[in-house]
Amino acid sequence: MSTVLATYNIKGGVGKTSAAVNLAYLAALDGARTLLWDLDPQGGSTYLLRIKPKIKGGADKLVRGKRRVDALIKGTDFDRLDLLPADFSYRHMDLALDGTKKPTQRLARVLAPLAHEYEYIFLDCPPSISLVSESVFEAADVLLVPLVPATLSSRTFDQLRRVVRADDHAPLVLGFVSMVDRRKRLHREVTEALAAAPDVLSTAIPTSSDIERMGLYRTVVDRSAPRGRAAGAYRALWQEVRDRLSAAA
Amino acid sequence: MKRRALEYVLPGDVTAPRLRAGLATDFDLEAEPSKVVDRAYFDTFDGLVRQADMSLVWENGRLQLMNGDGREVACLSWPNAPTVVRASDLPSGALRERLAPVIAVRAATALVRVRVRQRVVRVLDAERKTVACVVIAQPSIVVGDRARRRLTPRLTVTGVQGYAKALGRVRDLVEHRLGLSGAGESLRDEAVARAGGIPGGMSSALEVALQPRQRVDHAAVAILSQLIAAIEANLPGTLADVDSEFLHDLRVAVRRTRSLQRELGGAFPQADLARFRAEFRWLQEITGPARDLDVYLLDFEAFAASLAAPQRFDLEPLRALLSERRRRERRRMARALRSQHTHTLLAEWKRLVETLPELPDDDRPDAAGPIVDLAGGRIAAVYRQMLRRGARIDDQSPPVALHDLRKKGKELRYLLEFFGGLFPKATVDPTVKALKSLQDTLGRFQDREVQAMMLRSLAQETAGRQNGAAALMAMGVLVERLTDQQAQARAEFARRFASFADRRRRTAMRETFA
Ligand SMILES: Nc1ncnc2c1ncn2[C@@H]1O[C@H](COP(=O)(O)OP(=O)(O)OP(=O)(O)O)[C@@H](O)[C@H]1O
Ligand SMILES: [Mg+2]
Repeated sequence: MSTVLATYNIKGGVGKTSAAVNLAYLAALDGARTLLWDLDPQGGSTYLLRIKPKIKGGADKLVRGKRRVDALIKGTDFDRLDLLPADFSYRHMDLALDGTKKPTQRLARVLAPLAHEYEYIFLDCPPSISLVSESVFEAADVLLVPLVPATLSSRTFDQLRRVVRADDHAPLVLGFVSMVDRRKRLHREVTEALAAAPDVLSTAIPTSSDIERMGLYRTVVDRSAPRGRAAGAYRALWQEVRDRLSAAA
Repeated sequence: MKRRALEYVLPGDVTAPRLRAGLATDFDLEAEPSKVVDRAYFDTFDGLVRQADMSLVWENGRLQLMNGDGREVACLSWPNAPTVVRASDLPSGALRERLAPVIAVRAATALVRVRVRQRVVRVLDAERKTVACVVIAQPSIVVGDRARRRLTPRLTVTGVQGYAKALGRVRDLVEHRLGLSGAGESLRDEAVARAGGIPGGMSSALEVALQPRQRVDHAAVAILSQLIAAIEANLPGTLADVDSEFLHDLRVAVRRTRSLQRELGGAFPQADLARFRAEFRWLQEITGPARDLDVYLLDFEAFAASLAAPQRFDLEPLRALLSERRRRERRRMARALRSQHTHTLLAEWKRLVETLPELPDDDRPDAAGPIVDLAGGRIAAVYRQMLRRGARIDDQSPPVALHDLRKKGKELRYLLEFFGGLFPKATVDPTVKALKSLQDTLGRFQDREVQAMMLRSLAQETAGRQNGAAALMAMGVLVERLTDQQAQARAEFARRFASFADRRRRTAMRETFA
């Protein structure tokens, strides 16, 4: 059975896509068959993996179960890591879901046939709170929430905890601090305050040009700058996530 | 969609640069530095992994299960090449989940090790995304620590999921522009065969093609030499305790041999026959207890799983006890199987079978007759005996009545296995099917009884062990469950037997075999 992990935050530009791609790569590197589903119509992860942001039949056919999902999957350049690409029609994913019975269960249904194919399935979510995110909350075992070191972050995270906990099959919510600039005092202070919560992981992802340049090199930081701080941080973060998963099991 | 890994023979004059030149007009290519990889191929004795269109490979510190198209299904980090892989020894996870249904209780052993000097050339699209891989490989067999025998140099093309078109084009270029032809066998098969193995594994199925008018003794030789080969093939694995199937298959071959000795007794010199019937009964007896304990231990998991979680662990003292007994019985059996006596009896039996057709006929009354007559008569007779015994069974009959019927059923089963091919499929196939389901029920009836008896017989010894009281209570629950299941099997019996004995089948059997 696969473990489904979603990188999610209602806010945009906080490092969801960077985390999804790098963590999924590390999962595959460890030897686990891993799938990344790029749910964002902007196709950030799809672009980083050099794959065409297009799926036959679009969001509509996919969420209605009219397409075999395995036929839409693309192998990436990395062993064991596959991608279910983004498609521009995902911008109407809400509408597509709304037209189905039990819309919040749809994404889980789409993934069901892959449960034995992949050990990990990552969902890279668009920034929003919508029917899509509700559907993600149902499908996911874990929500990985990048928190930028700003004073509002802890309130946003709090809201998210409440929204998710209201749900029956609530996923495990794990925050992590993202885009930290250690030189800024405010960053250091806010990071410390955030990381004090038991559901915030202790690894923080630093602000790093290695991560920024992913868009240029179109590969993961573990390949472009394996010795850099960013690569080390993602490795530590993945180890922490795995530890939490086995503790929860 | 199923695709094979595409393997081509690489002629000496097709060099890496020429290859690249051939592809480069159509694709961007990226050649990785050439490297040497060590690899070991694994499979069960009977080739279950290959039969499932997969391969189990150790390479670069990983044990990998691959699909027929060369893509990885699951893997596990495994620093040094293992010698044996058993599903039950794997940590829970994807590899175990995928491998267990394929090999079940069998062990996959290393068939051959190869060292491959290889160069991977990635085929890229306009985004510089890899859409296929071409591997140029110079493989050799590794013996000890050295690469010894060179194997056919190969070019392998593997696709990337979701890029079938690119794969098709690469394939086209390789076949038409470079003019390479497909390798007749995979690298795995070539390496296994060159190392002296059988690529498809050793089948335990009996394959007999008899002619109806063939002399009885010739038919006997045809089948018995296969059984001798099966005994010889399974003996080393039995002694090394590679997995429980070796002993099982060895015992099946012994049982089949005994069945033929009985059914075709008139084809043998009578004094020799009497001696070898006794010897094979002895073989069967000395291997029995070890097999029983194998079965108990295999059943143990199912037993334990049928209990609620806390009680499941209570059974551990029982498992420990069974394992100890098994070790003891295995040692006893190994001593007997390794003895000069066994060695001599098998050699002499083999000689008798080989020379049988040349022996005088005078004390071999059935030797020269056509096999079809003798076999048909025996099948008809055993079927009739089963009808008679079965008809006498009702709800009050003692268990032994069902056991006796099962024994006859085994006799019929073997007769149909050996000689069914001489008769019309229209009668044989449905009868085999009905017989199987009848035997299944009878087998369950007997097994549950034997298992319950076994548990009872171990009660005292288990109770005396640490945590024995809890184990004893769990065993009580099991005995009750086994008794229920036995009763269920008994309730099924009437229906199964009715189908086996129905009027249409009786008529067909009479007309076909008498
Ligand atoms: N730790 C970091 N250091 C520097 N730049 C970063 C870091 N994390 C992300 N970025 C950059 O910030 C931008 C947004 O990052 P990313 O796409 O990962 O965020 P996101 O949450 O997925 O955004 P969106 O909400 O648009 O999907 C990208 O240009 C990325 O390269
Ligand atoms: Mg994103």
